[in-house]
Amino acid sequence: MSMQIGDSAAEAIFRDQARTWLSQHASLRSDDVANWHDDLGGHVVACKKWQHVLYDNGWAGISWPKQFGGRGGTSLQASIFAEEQSKFDVATGSFAVSLGMVGPTLMAHGTPQQHAEFLAPMLRGDHVWCQLFSEPNAGSDLANIGTRAVLDGDTWIVNGQKVWTSFGQFSDYGILLTRTEPESPKHKGITYFIVDMKSAGIEVRPLVQITGVAHFNEVFLSDVRIPAANVLGQVNNGWAVANTTLTSERAFIGGGGSSWTVEALIETAQKLGRTQDPVVRQKLAAAYTRAQTLSYLGYRLRTASSLGLIPGPEMFVMKLAYARHWEKTMDTAMEVLGADAMLWGDNVIDNGEWQHRLLSQFAIRLGGGTNEIQQNIIGERGLGLPREPSVDRNLPWRELVKG
Amino acid sequence: MNFDLSDEQHVLSDLAQQIFSGLSTIERITELQTGDGFDATLWNELAKAGLLGLCVAEEHGGLAMHMVELSLVLEQQGKHIAQVPLWSSSIAAMTVAQYGSPALQTLVLPGVCNGTTVLSCALANFGANDSMNPSVEATDVDGGVRLVGSKPAVPYAQNAHFVVVSAKRVDGSVVLALVETDARGVILTAVDGSDHQPQANMDIDVVVPASHIIAGLTNDGREALRWMHEHSLVALCAIQLGVAQGSIAITAEHVKTRHQFGKPLSAQQAVAVRAADAYITTEAMRVTMLNAAWRLAEGFDARQDVLVAMYWATEGGHSVVLAGQHLHGGVGADISYPVHRFFLWGIQISTQLGGASQHLARLGKLIASR
Repeated sequence: MSMQIGDSAAEAIFRDQARTWLSQHASLRSDDVANWHDDLGGHVVACKKWQHVLYDNGWAGISWPKQFGGRGGTSLQASIFAEEQSKFDVATGSFAVSLGMVGPTLMAHGTPQQHAEFLAPMLRGDHVWCQLFSEPNAGSDLANIGTRAVLDGDTWIVNGQKVWTSFGQFSDYGILLTRTEPESPKHKGITYFIVDMKSAGIEVRPLVQITGVAHFNEVFLSDVRIPAANVLGQVNNGWAVANTTLTSERAFIGGGGSSWTVEALIETAQKLGRTQDPVVRQKLAAAYTRAQTLSYLGYRLRTASSLGLIPGPEMFVMKLAYARHWEKTMDTAMEVLGADAMLWGDNVIDNGEWQHRLLSQFAIRLGGGTNEIQQNIIGERGLGLPREPSVDRNLPWRELVKG
Repeated sequence: MNFDLSDEQHVLSDLAQQIFSGLSTIERITELQTGDGFDATLWNELAKAGLLGLCVAEEHGGLAMHMVELSLVLEQQGKHIAQVPLWSSSIAAMTVAQYGSPALQTLVLPGVCNGTTVLSCALANFGANDSMNPSVEATDVDGGVRLVGSKPAVPYAQNAHFVVVSAKRVDGSVVLALVETDARGVILTAVDGSDHQPQANMDIDVVVPASHIIAGLTNDGREALRWMHEHSLVALCAIQLGVAQGSIAITAEHVKTRHQFGKPLSAQQAVAVRAADAYITTEAMRVTMLNAAWRLAEGFDARQDVLVAMYWATEGGHSVVLAGQHLHGGVGADISYPVHRFFLWGIQISTQLGGASQHLARLGKLIASR
């Protein structure tokens, strides 16, 4: 099969169908979008509404198998649909965890009962899901988690604290990593659960971030009871399951689906009369080259997945490249805005979106493993450098010094 | 969508890799320093394998392939820092094939394919070095075009039989001419390049017969110059990709095997992270180069794509070879160890047809000026 960068004839037809359907069910994103950051609860409601429309019309879960309620299409088709959808004024953000991360993990590791119970409602948008992984003492060193789960009959009892939980305050279910065998080395004694967020003993406290939005939360778990049937994968084998989730998270963040483009920044620069400045122009051009590179890396990923091959280095390069692109381009955006960059909120050009994105960069740079963690992975897997020496891989978790 | 190589392209890349790794060894490159710097043995092997006429029509003895295939071979050349005028001879031949008369094609292309005729390109200019604004002056005379001026650092001019020279008339129209290197009025002065490969400044005062004018004899040859320039840039991007990969490969090996403080250098995060960044940059160079090569091969407008690729090849390539040199510490300063060769070629390509800021300025003008 020869190289073809861009849609094949069949893909072009699919894109056309998607665009036609979208234009019948949503309106194009206008310059003057309402600022949804102030009303996160309203955003969640809008996401649910739109996901229902997708589901009822057969456009939800495009690459999910039909047996799980999906469309049974290719990952390429899913990307094409996402590209077209991003041009329309629809809300999708609060399903990033459920559709982007939990779905693939459940399909890979879940029991038939778990598939039947959770996948269809997830796809329909009935439930918001959150990720209960990070803890105050387990961030980059995620395998160091200390939230304990102890078996009592056919129920697990969980105690501990989680943090950086996106959309936790709106969630119906969570995916939860716990320590179930402290005598084993840290990677070996972890169990992965599905937890009902309405369970007794769960307290969610929103964290107001630098953007002014409380997107993240702290979650406290006190004697939370989880049925044994909600273990995902095998007891004490949760690290392998978690890796499926983390890979999906990296792919999701790196895959972009972002709400902004370099072209939009160029338009803003034109509106402000900044494009005759050769230095601004060079910075815009540099941003453009980064965006193009990310697209092509994405094309390589899609090619590999559509041919059923294991993706190459693009996989772990993309998340890091995307985070850096975001950071550098928002610096350029502030330069383009000039004095306007000092202002905040809805009264400035583009509703203050560029300022909001500048401040959102930290979630992108740190989420799914920090930039530096990605670099370590690239060193090991891309270049074959020896793994960093670690003294704690084989010691029982309970003997490790806790942070 | 299929952004991967075909089976045939993989086979071609493997073939090139075998030839270059077999012949262009570090010992061989060191040995070439004492001679004229041109690896004639390797050149003959490339001819036998058909790689010198990769993009030339079959009727002239070529393989009738396109820019993506050429880029794969050039990538392998860069990886093995092989000293042959492959890009300049190939792009000159492609330009003759694309724009030259049938008689001119018959005159030079069969020799290019069998290795007996070497071509080169003289696109760079003294001064501001804007390839689209050549400084050699062209004047129409009886039977042809008179060219007067100078060209800097023409690759392998000493080994070339013909050089494609870009020139400009007073009215601004462009001429592309095939100039014979041993014609009266052509003076070659060998210059030392930073990559230690053969090159010469070319002083020209010749009348080129009409039969040897590739483009612009009776009109403006600007489109042909643009075509040649874009193909040349992508060819350089492809070599640079190979150079960057070669640099990273030897560097990864070094930091894995050299021990300090009782452990491999790469166990220091500061070292591993710098190597990882070089790797990421190389992947960016690969995808932007392949995209540009594919668009040229398909005949699509590639003005922005070529500049995007060239920006990564210059800015990115520079940072990769610099990291390679730096991570070798004192070992890199010893010229009996090969890593400096990647550095030198990488730096040369970063400036060869305009530096990173020049490409960025052009791209900025294309996408944002209003």
